[in-house]
Amino acid sequence: MLNDGIYRMPSEDKEHEEQLVREFQAGNLEVFEEIASIFQRQIYSLAFNLTRNQMDAEDVAQDVLLTLYRKIHTFQGKSAFSSWVYRITLNASYMKLRSKKKDKFVPIEETFPAFNNSGYHQEKIKDWSESADSLTFSNETRENIGNAVEQLPEKEKVVFILRDVDGLSTEKVGEILDLSIPAVKSRLHRARLFLRKKLSNYFEEYYSKETQKK
Amino acid sequence: MICCKECLDLLYDYSEGTLPKETAASLEEHFSDCPPCISFLKTYKATTVISRKSIKADEIPEAVQERLRDFVQNLKKP
Repeated sequence: MLNDGIYRMPSEDKEHEEQLVREFQAGNLEVFEEIASIFQRQIYSLAFNLTRNQMDAEDVAQDVLLTLYRKIHTFQGKSAFSSWVYRITLNASYMKLRSKKKDKFVPIEETFPAFNNSGYHQEKIKDWSESADSLTFSNETRENIGNAVEQLPEKEKVVFILRDVDGLSTEKVGEILDLSIPAVKSRLHRARLFLRKKLSNYFEEYYSKETQKK
Repeated sequence: MICCKECLDLLYDYSEGTLPKETAASLEEHFSDCPPCISFLKTYKATTVISRKSIKADEIPEAVQERLRDFVQNLKKP
């Protein structure tokens, strides 16, 4: 990671971060700017992915930075500092989302595939995987996918964002959310099934419109 | 031979490569004879890739970065 112009290995990064936290806890306020610069991308990115709104993400980022500044003395080092920052960001994002309550969630199970009595697929499954990749460059597609992620129930959404979008390990996601590994896997699987269905609906509609045009 | 419904339960571990060899082999045996499940697997995997590409916010917009920097600097003021 390049924060102060020096390249460090991930383990050294963690050590450096914890050193900064200890210095700040000991009263050296000057190091807070570096702590903020190290974590602000992580904070903003998670807040943006959860709220899907730039202004909300900025508000959340400010709330989190303020909380870190005021409450960092309560960090006891029981988990990684980055996990603590993730948890504060999640709470602040949830507060923001609750203040703008939306009622457009559909039961996640309704998007799971249907099977007949023998356990075989009931509906036709179209393969849009190869052709869809090129469509991710279009604003319309990105907006549709963003909307689908926004519709995920909170429990599944946060696991999907941390694991599949931010690329954290299953173990790290478990530590941040205080969940067992099987629980992380189960929520991630449900999130992927939900999004697969939403994406299928979108791409099938898109291709049928394209066919009609021809 | 396992059915499509059972495949669905194994799909997560299969796509992560964490399924025991024997179970993975019975899943692949099912795939070889079930085009809907192959389509399902491909679109299941693509969902992650496409969603990540579409929504990942890699950079904070410059103006936001500047405001956050000002915010942090103001925190230190008494």
